[in-house]
Amino acid sequence: MNSDFTAIEGRSPGYWQLVVVLGVVLAIGMGAFLAVEFLGHGITNMTNRVVWGLPHVFAISLLVMASGALNLGSMSTVFAAKQYKQFGRFSAYLAIALLSGGLMVLMLDLGRPDRMLLPMLHMNFSSMFTWNVFLYSGFFALCFLYLWSMFEYHQFTKVVGSAAFGWRLILTTGTGSIFGVVQARDVFHSAITGPTFVAFSLSSGTALSAILLILTYRHTHRELDKRLVFGLRNALIFFTLLVLYMLVVEKFTKFYSPAFFEVESWLLTGPYAWLYWGGVVFAGAVFPLAVLFLPKSGNSVDGVLLASASSVLGVFCFVGHVLIAGQSYPFDMFPGYEIVNSVFQDGVAASYSPGAVEISLGLGGVALSGLIYLLGIKFFRLLPEKAVVPKGWEVPWNP
Amino acid sequence: MTMDRRTVLGLGGAVAAGSLLAPGVYLVAAPKPPARTEVKAGRRWAMLIDVNRCSPDCRACTQACRTENNVPLFGDPERDIHWIRKVEIRDKSHKRPSITLPVLCNHCEHPPCKHVCPTAATFQRQDGLVLVDMHRCIGCRYCIIACPYKARSLVYHETHLPEGGNPKVPIRGKGVVEKCTFCVHRLDAGEEPACVEACNRDGDKGMIFGDLNDPESTIAKRVLEAKTTTIRPDLGLGPQVYYKGL
Amino acid sequence: MAWFRPVVVAMALLAVLFGGAGGPEAGASSLGSGPPGGGSQGGPQLAKAKGDACVKDRAWMRRNHMDFLKHRRDETVREGIRIRDESLLNCQSCHTSRTEFCDRCHSFVGVQPDCFHCHNYK
Ligand code: HEC
Ligand code: HEC
Ligand code: HEC
Repeated sequence: MNSDFTAIEGRSPGYWQLVVVLGVVLAIGMGAFLAVEFLGHGITNMTNRVVWGLPHVFAISLLVMASGALNLGSMSTVFAAKQYKQFGRFSAYLAIALLSGGLMVLMLDLGRPDRMLLPMLHMNFSSMFTWNVFLYSGFFALCFLYLWSMFEYHQFTKVVGSAAFGWRLILTTGTGSIFGVVQARDVFHSAITGPTFVAFSLSSGTALSAILLILTYRHTHRELDKRLVFGLRNALIFFTLLVLYMLVVEKFTKFYSPAFFEVESWLLTGPYAWLYWGGVVFAGAVFPLAVLFLPKSGNSVDGVLLASASSVLGVFCFVGHVLIAGQSYPFDMFPGYEIVNSVFQDGVAASYSPGAVEISLGLGGVALSGLIYLLGIKFFRLLPEKAVVPKGWEVPWNP
Repeated sequence: MTMDRRTVLGLGGAVAAGSLLAPGVYLVAAPKPPARTEVKAGRRWAMLIDVNRCSPDCRACTQACRTENNVPLFGDPERDIHWIRKVEIRDKSHKRPSITLPVLCNHCEHPPCKHVCPTAATFQRQDGLVLVDMHRCIGCRYCIIACPYKARSLVYHETHLPEGGNPKVPIRGKGVVEKCTFCVHRLDAGEEPACVEACNRDGDKGMIFGDLNDPESTIAKRVLEAKTTTIRPDLGLGPQVYYKGL
Repeated sequence: MAWFRPVVVAMALLAVLFGGAGGPEAGASSLGSGPPGGGSQGGPQLAKAKGDACVKDRAWMRRNHMDFLKHRRDETVREGIRIRDESLLNCQSCHTSRTEFCDRCHSFVGVQPDCFHCHNYK
């Protein structure tokens, strides 16, 4: 079933146009970084109330998707879905690409990026950030080894792939726990924040892999068996249901307690309700599910493409909602009192709308990931010439 | 190198330190700073604020803090930095008149900002002060996310020593996170924080500062005898700014 | 940016070595071995300090003041050990001008300590 892996030719004008566009976006992102480095964060729209803005939304979404990109590899290596073995290389490479883009944005948005190596020198092991430094570098290393084993040492693939699978679950839980452990913020503080991130990473990673596979095969005029896409569709349905489940459990538990009533009703009806309902619930779960379940769209490759795009949008909205709404909600510093007056806007919800600098920096990270992917498929043998299903394998379920 | 310094300064230091280690708070600054001072472990600096005395338009504490520590104002309310700020609150039933009180870093016993700091730039000194090592802060802002008192701010713009500023306290350049230090440089020189001094000199005389672990100190006695509370004690952080009459 | 610093230092050194920006007898080697007492031969022209001696001997200060200041600051800031004579604040009581003392030498050797963004030292 495994036909030969080949690099794509990458000589068409379309390919180069894409490379140039991404290169320009990356350059603009770097320009934004330098501007912030020299002029200070004053040129962004972040404030002392919303201190993590759009760059972090991009960075964390990319990191969440990076761990999700490993799905395809794990499906074959860990769960013995042999028909996806041919995408193992693609999957591990994509994870590295997304991780690089996300980490770059995270690093470049520091207030003092010149000191970015300090976390390596002075570690504080009670910080989730320190843990994430290890988790990310370990994930990087594991993905690399996984990739290497798939190229050269097939006997290790199972071991390394399983390790990478376990690691990415911990990794994404770690990313979610950056927020989950923060007791001060009612919006984040929950044991389910980490698992919800895992669910989103599963759904959005599958979705992004589907998008890239479909588009890459389409534009290189290679053959991609539809049934492989539909297998992914089924996985996406399952993971999206998982997302929905997590969201419902969280809201249910919180609404049950009067202490959270105020926060939760603010989240569901307040200024960021559109992001929650439109972005997280609709784009992240309801719309993809609807598209995938309807026989007409669910059984077409373009339908899967559409649902996947919506799911990717959903993860951005989810991270954005956690971050921006989470920071905008005012602290209840004096329970039982209301705040009449304060020079520092205590008790008033903050607002944030990203500025050009943040957008450029965030898109710069996306562009870096895109470039790494594009160059990767040109210079390495990541994808099979013909992606076909093994004999006798059928998609177990179709809408 | 450490040995070296110790031998050179050991003698003079021991004498000077001895006079400083006496508990309690000195109100008068020594004319010349002693050659060497050290933190006394086991001390627990704390503040007691009598809310009933705090009048709505007194700004003695906030102004004193601003000049003492060169705390910048950028003319942008969302980014201006306040190490100590006045907040006016009213109970939700509207039965009682509103009250005002200063809010500042609570120098928690279990500081969440310290726990989340990836480089250990935020640390807790032996005497309980929670401080930011400006030389190590990378500006990641996780501490701002973690602090429930909004005591911390990122410096968004380039700052300069203001006209008439205090040259002894370094400004914090753009890109680091700053907050109240309980005027650590004054404490180490045997003085009270600037806000407390100003409150008792020009203000409503509602602030007391001292070592809570010293049973003889005024603050320890007052915290024992009067009913005091802290902001959000339910979070379990062990804040060290006590309020009376809240 | 951390990775810029070596580059900046290297470029500055190159500028000094090849551009002749260091004055009549530019040469980094003259730094460590200049004669005591104000040392003007070869090295940068430094303003005279007040007082008769530095906090440590001169050769030691030349070579080690940066470690000294950086170690000191960890002890001072984090452990609260304040030593009057060794504080950064105190250098200026004898070396009254930063531009004519510290900076002259630093631009000669091509370092740019970022301390004085925050620390007041005229
Ligand atoms: C008590 C006054 C005094 C203080 C305080 C002082 N210095 Fe000095 N420093 C001197 C004198 C005097 C000299 C010249 C010494 C000599 O010629 O032997 C000197 C020389 C030096 C030199 C060598 C200059 C050369 O020409 O080679 C350096 C470097 C230096 N000091 C750095 C510092 C630093 C850094 C500090 C602050 C920690 C400091 N000094 C504090 C008085 C002082
Ligand atoms: C005789 C020349 C000389 C003089 C005078 C001098 N320095 Fe330096 N300084 C150096 C050299 C050489 C370095 C080493 C740079 C390195 O190792 O990267 C240095 C480095 C430093 C550093 C560390 C920079 C870093 O980021 O690592 C500090 C801080 C510093 N000097 C402070 C001072 C102060 C303050 C004064 C004035 C009181 C002073 N220096 C005077 C030569 C001098
Ligand atoms: C971001 C601003 C910032 C920068 C940059 C900075 N410092 Fe500081 N530094 C501070 C602050 C704020 C304090 C005050 C801490 C205190 O008093 O406890 C301090 C304290 C110190 C102290 C201890 C106080 C004293 O008087 O001795 C030393 C020494 C010191 N810094 C050295 C340095 C050196 C050397 C550099 C450059 C390599 C530097 N600092 C760069 C902000 C800065």
